[in-house]
Amino acid sequence: MNNTALWYTTRGAGAVSLVLLSAVVVLGVLSTLRYESPTWPRFLTTGLHRNIALTAVVFLALHIVTAVVDPFTHLGWLAAVVPFSSYYRTFWLGLGTIAFELLLAITATSLVRGLIGHAAWRAIHWLSYASWPIAVLHGFGTGTDTLSTWMLAIDGICIAAVAGSVAARVMFRSPDPLAADRARFRERVSRKVVK
Amino acid sequence: MNHPATRAIVGTMENDNANDPRIRARDAATRMLNRITAGVAFGAIASIGLFGAVSAFTIPGVVSSTQGATASVSTSGSTSSSALQSSSTTVSSSSSSGVAVSGVAVSGGS
Repeated sequence: MNNTALWYTTRGAGAVSLVLLSAVVVLGVLSTLRYESPTWPRFLTTGLHRNIALTAVVFLALHIVTAVVDPFTHLGWLAAVVPFSSYYRTFWLGLGTIAFELLLAITATSLVRGLIGHAAWRAIHWLSYASWPIAVLHGFGTGTDTLSTWMLAIDGICIAAVAGSVAARVMFRSPDPLAADRARFRERVSRKVVK
Repeated sequence: MNHPATRAIVGTMENDNANDPRIRARDAATRMLNRITAGVAFGAIASIGLFGAVSAFTIPGVVSSTQGATASVSTSGSTSSSALQSSSTTVSSSSSSGVAVSGVAVSGGS
């Protein structure tokens, strides 16, 4: 594979990774809304969220590997692991490294969720709200195609999708199917405490 | 599982569950999940090719000859490398029909 093929693969994999990560964030946010229908059970949203997240990690790894082995930039493996250690576009590549490591932490803790407990998993999972914007900034800062029309369209669609899903989450609180039962339970407990 | 009673119980349970609409819906959703996941994976692979081609078309990089680049002249079975500026052998003096000269640099970003 020659240098230009690696370079084009890096750019293509970067764009695909952005789309996949955006889809993961949207599905993750939508899963909290507990949407379901007769043909779309709730586990389908969470299952897709998990599967596409794992797929995104693979394509992100491809994006990183092709960038590192590209002899034009001479990035080296250290730049892929240690943020802001690259001589080449230090800040913007550092953002990409941080976003990738946050994603690794989120993915790894999701895979061992049963071991670390729900509270710790949830706390770490909130990092995804930081990981995704950092990844977008990385793309804006160092992407060769940032100002290309097609890449601007992809960026716009991804940002609109994530912003829309977050707005939906804020506006439409997730319905709690046990809300009435919880209220009754609290009422009974408070009555007993008063007596 | 070889005991006839066990087989009968298992068989009955499987038949009953298979007719449960909730079980059928779950199985259908699981198949849909697998199909969508596979579609996303194959679509992503195809998209890398598509986006790579589009990026190559829009910003192909700058290809230019470099004065100090190394020229590699290949003849049948032997290869000699020397700097263009200090080379004492000209390309036109090669007697071989298959002459390849590389001395281009491709520049671009990540």
